[in-house]
Amino acid sequence: MRQQYAWRSKFLMSVLGLLAFLVVVQIVRIQNSEEAAIFRQRALNYATESKTFYPDRGNIYDRNGHLLAGNKTVYEVGVNLNDVKDANAIAMTLSVQLGVDYAETLNNIINPPIPDLVYLVITKSASVEDAVALQQLQLTMQEQAPAGTSGSLTGLEFTAHPQRDYPEGALASNIIGFVNRAGRGYFGVEEKYNDLLAGNPVQVLVPTDPNKAEDIPHIPDGTNLVLTINRDLQAAAEETLDGALFTYGAQGGTIIVMNPRNGEVLAMAVTPRMDLNRFWDYEVVYQNASEFNRAISVPYEPGSVTKILTMAAALDSGTVSPTTTFLDTGSILIGGVTIKNWNEEAWGLQDMTGCLQHSLNVCMAWISTQMGTQTFYGYMNRFGLGHLTNIDMAGESAGRLKVPGDEDWYPVDLGTNAFGQGVASTPIQLLAAASSIANDGRMISPHILYSMLREDRQYNASAQYAGAPISSETARTLSNMLATSLENEASLALVSGYRMAGKTGTAQIPMPYGYYDSTRTNASFIGWGPVDDPQFMIYVWLESPSSSIWGSETAAPVFSEMAQKTVILLNVPPDSVRQQLVLK
Amino acid sequence: MQNINHFVHAYRIAPWRIQRQWIGNTLLVVVGFAMVAALYLYVTARAAIAGREIQDLTASTRISQQASADLQTRFAALTSTSVMEERALALGFEPIKPGRMEYIVVAGYMPPQPVILSNGPQSGLRAPSIPPEYNQSLLDWMDEQVHSPYVRGGLQQ
Repeated sequence: MRQQYAWRSKFLMSVLGLLAFLVVVQIVRIQNSEEAAIFRQRALNYATESKTFYPDRGNIYDRNGHLLAGNKTVYEVGVNLNDVKDANAIAMTLSVQLGVDYAETLNNIINPPIPDLVYLVITKSASVEDAVALQQLQLTMQEQAPAGTSGSLTGLEFTAHPQRDYPEGALASNIIGFVNRAGRGYFGVEEKYNDLLAGNPVQVLVPTDPNKAEDIPHIPDGTNLVLTINRDLQAAAEETLDGALFTYGAQGGTIIVMNPRNGEVLAMAVTPRMDLNRFWDYEVVYQNASEFNRAISVPYEPGSVTKILTMAAALDSGTVSPTTTFLDTGSILIGGVTIKNWNEEAWGLQDMTGCLQHSLNVCMAWISTQMGTQTFYGYMNRFGLGHLTNIDMAGESAGRLKVPGDEDWYPVDLGTNAFGQGVASTPIQLLAAASSIANDGRMISPHILYSMLREDRQYNASAQYAGAPISSETARTLSNMLATSLENEASLALVSGYRMAGKTGTAQIPMPYGYYDSTRTNASFIGWGPVDDPQFMIYVWLESPSSSIWGSETAAPVFSEMAQKTVILLNVPPDSVRQQLVLK
Repeated sequence: MQNINHFVHAYRIAPWRIQRQWIGNTLLVVVGFAMVAALYLYVTARAAIAGREIQDLTASTRISQQASADLQTRFAALTSTSVMEERALALGFEPIKPGRMEYIVVAGYMPPQPVILSNGPQSGLRAPSIPPEYNQSLLDWMDEQVHSPYVRGGLQQ
């Protein structure tokens, strides 16, 4: 009986064994098929997630550690259109909390502006307070909704992200620049040091399997920058400039305060300025990019402030000495063109201090002809006219100095260039050039960066010198001549208790086809002090002042006002006090 | 004595004894696999928890950094030039004129210098790397032990 059924068992076992074998064969075949390779690749793709870690953009501080540009959290508020239950409630709530237009928002939710739109962005920069209030309200509405149903604010979504913030608003906006929504810096320091501030994003493959948690690489934040500017002095400069524009009816203006010893820009005020937290207003405030910072981007014919460079060149080359006399007859003929004084009068016998004091064009033109083109333009070139100062802000212009050999240079230019006509310079260029006079003959390179902070290390920027166009003896002699000329003139630029050196400038504004506007001028003043130990230089430029066309009546008093604020904020005691301290 | 030998012989050829040996060996293998599986599961679970905790800590570090940046900018806004000027004026202060200032000699006074924001290098504060015990599976560990050069004969000598 057993034998009878044995074959059945063996048959069944063979069939099952064959089936098992076929299953194994099929498993192996599937595992090694082309489709399996595709699936394995897909699995590998999902095994890791590519994440880009963006470092926080570096902060910007003034020289005393006040934050000028930082980062804050803002929220993108949007509506997931597929989840909306009550469009009216959402539009009403957003209108009340965020101030958006109710009708427009409601219409956009009901009739999306783009077909098949699933997510509607309401705002990209809602404050934390607004976002929290909306989230709280959404939660409350959800709790009040009948069980199993969605609240009326269902569909509102919030995404936090960092955004650039400028706590001082428009203060020093021309220096700082701004960052757009894409995180790119525009203008000023934000553009010049964009790579340093932004840092280096790191892309990492992060395993989705929590068993394979890996160390996230150390991502250094963007570099923090400390600027040379003094926040309080910057505010004072802007206040002074705004007041000057109002008082003298000027269309625009610039005030720069710089340390002549090391080239640190302590303040740089211009008009117009913009609230950097509303960077999208840029096109409303400015007509073109060069207006963002006129102090470095807009060259103009500076007029008589250039005379200090002409006199410096003449003294240094030995062409004249302070006691050299010149008989001013009221005009001089150069290159077939007659050059006259600003008042078209003859000033008689003058020494060189008198030429500066009365700002005599004829005298300066005579000096330049005495020097000759090679000497005169050689000095102007060494003073950096027509060259970039390489100040570390975006958008600097080099200006223009025509020299013999240029197609548009004429012999008369030797005479007119001597008193600042026919030459285009930016305020920062003239300040850098004049620093050689205030700094014992050594010309400094103006800069705005004091130090960089990276990985808990602070790297201070050192002063850069741009050569020594004149000797220290020439520099001291000329400083005293300029101080004396201000005192003799009883200039409005004088500051009680402090001996200042400086020079006014009044320049007609060139028109197309080589003519000059007879009604509008650029009024300027460049000065420094205290003369025996210069600690600051100030440049003032007022564009088209309407109360008076003369720099001596507009820019000079602005210099005085700015200098008074500067000595207080920089703790510069009056000369008498300082000399007593030195004696002790 | 003969009875004892007979009993031993009967025990040795008893069919249920062979079956028990098979069952015992099989159970031993099963229990062994179960223990290895349990150990593997335990280590894997610990690694998963540690991984999640690291992710949580990373997220909370990020949140703290954002909160710190928020507070810094808020503080800067509260102490901005315009706000401080308004507060000073409200408290009765007024801008000083140069002629009203008095300077006195203070021995050892150093004029204010630009700010130093750096704390200096602090390399010791950086978090150490995650040790392999927290992200290595048992199989990875066994693989490492097998392929580790220190286990190979050449390096052990």
